[in-house]
Amino acid sequence: MAEIITVSDLVLVYADGTKAVDGISFSVKKGEFFGFLGPNGAGKSTTIKILTTLLKKTSGTVTVAGHDINTGAPAVRKLIGVQSQETTVDGDLTGRENLMLQGHFQQMPGEGLKNRVNELLRLVGLESAADKRARNYSGGMKKRLDLASALVHKPQLLFLDEPTTGLDPQSRNAIWAYLERLNKEEGITIFLTTQYLEEADRLCKRLAIIDFGKIVTSGSPIQLKQEIGADSIKIALENCERDKTRAKELLESLDGVSEVVDIGSEECLNVFAKKAGPLVADIVRAFDSSEIRLLSVTFSSPTLDDVFLRHTGRSIRTEELVKAPSQMPGGRR
Amino acid sequence: MGLFSDTRYLFVRYLKKLIRNPILLFFSLFQPIIFLLLFTQLLGRFSSIPGFTEATGAASYAIFATAGILLQNAFGSALQSGNSIVADIDSGYLQKMLVTPVNRYSILLGRLLSDAFRVAIQSIIIIALSFLPFVGVTYVTGVPGVLLVLVIIAFFGLAWSGISLAIGMKTRSSETVFAIGGFITFPLLFLSTALVPLSFQPEWIQTISKFNPISYAVDAVRVLMISGYDWSTILQAFGVIGLVGLITLSATVYQFRKVVK
Repeated sequence: MAEIITVSDLVLVYADGTKAVDGISFSVKKGEFFGFLGPNGAGKSTTIKILTTLLKKTSGTVTVAGHDINTGAPAVRKLIGVQSQETTVDGDLTGRENLMLQGHFQQMPGEGLKNRVNELLRLVGLESAADKRARNYSGGMKKRLDLASALVHKPQLLFLDEPTTGLDPQSRNAIWAYLERLNKEEGITIFLTTQYLEEADRLCKRLAIIDFGKIVTSGSPIQLKQEIGADSIKIALENCERDKTRAKELLESLDGVSEVVDIGSEECLNVFAKKAGPLVADIVRAFDSSEIRLLSVTFSSPTLDDVFLRHTGRSIRTEELVKAPSQMPGGRR
Repeated sequence: MGLFSDTRYLFVRYLKKLIRNPILLFFSLFQPIIFLLLFTQLLGRFSSIPGFTEATGAASYAIFATAGILLQNAFGSALQSGNSIVADIDSGYLQKMLVTPVNRYSILLGRLLSDAFRVAIQSIIIIALSFLPFVGVTYVTGVPGVLLVLVIIAFFGLAWSGISLAIGMKTRSSETVFAIGGFITFPLLFLSTALVPLSFQPEWIQTISKFNPISYAVDAVRVLMISGYDWSTILQAFGVIGLVGLITLSATVYQFRKVVK
């Protein structure tokens, strides 16, 4: 059995009528590091909740580790580890007690559990704080403890819902390194959701970009970026609102421009072009003669943000700054 | 599937939380202790009203009122138990439990048992204070009587925890749980035989008192203190507690199934 997760035509409609997941299909192979990249409210957490037996799907078929999610939920729970978006450790218990209790939930016998807990405390670097109450841990320590508790029963499959949201760069790096090791050395399949481009780029061998409950594209990060087949030029204007339409027409008339996308933020416009370097001079000249004042022009090889932009017409980055369009009432659970 | 062992682990979890946050133990205990030490003194001369001792068998008002205060505490304490499940829902800890194979009903059972345990500990503190000379409570039934009183109170607490847990799971708001607890404790207490003997009450309150489940539990505790093993009163109390428990715990199980479905 090469596939550990198969999902086809999955739909979830909440009681208030919100369609959080709108007919997605994908599969994850055993040992893979797979990710869902998308903005807040795209349906990432909802999908994870269905895959981890917390939510009942409206329609579609889902199998996890060979079990149908509707009929095999108890069997699935024994095989998966889950770290939810919110860090959930019991602050009144010590780190060690949190892990022991989690092991008891997983029906693990005493002696083996004790050893496993010691091993995990060492692995996530919480040995010296193991017998202090988790209430006094830093945010990064709590995340690591939470991660350890998802691993206590050596799951085949690990679900991580935005595992580094709200963490400082240092803690984030530590978690990333640890996740890579788990995947490579212990062969644990990891399903991760994130809204961080960097995280998806670095960790995921394959990812699906999700927006408004739909998968807009999928593939390996390199493949997705190559598919764009063009460099990306970001243009900021002094008066974006006024000059935008004129600037867009001007850009589209230039040779070598394959697409112009209106980002609608301070960066204003994004141009996709085969060879960005020579084009920059043309852009500057054209704007200068039309008296459109530039703030900045930057170009780079395509990023995952450009992939998202190409497929949805919006940028994930700007969604973090501006209110996310897909963050409708009840959109995010 | 692990019902017994899972319940034990969760009971121990709540117990540790209680020991490490003693405020939870004393929070609802504060008011009953003020009643026990001050209110009974304030109304001390109540017992010299002609007919008081004949009607109640109690030598002083403090002795009469202690049973009521014990049940007041149990009632108030039980009505806060929904907060803990709201906290687990809010923090996501409930979900964390639900993605594991842990027995679903052990989550509820561990909670209820620890609530009953908390009420028993609080009651022991109140009983100990009631032995102070100026309160002057004694038990004609001795130590076995005290133990039976604790059993009655624990079951009484268990029965009323159900309401609070059901409301907590339904509203998912600890403010609501807190407000409802605060709102119904005193009216139900004043409309019972907890603080004033039945024959001293105005007729309309007497009518309500007779149907108030608190009165039955209070009367059972009171006979064990003052007159002895009056089994008809004691069994009636268990019957009423059982009935209340059946209703409230059904509501709890119903709400719980909706939460974990």
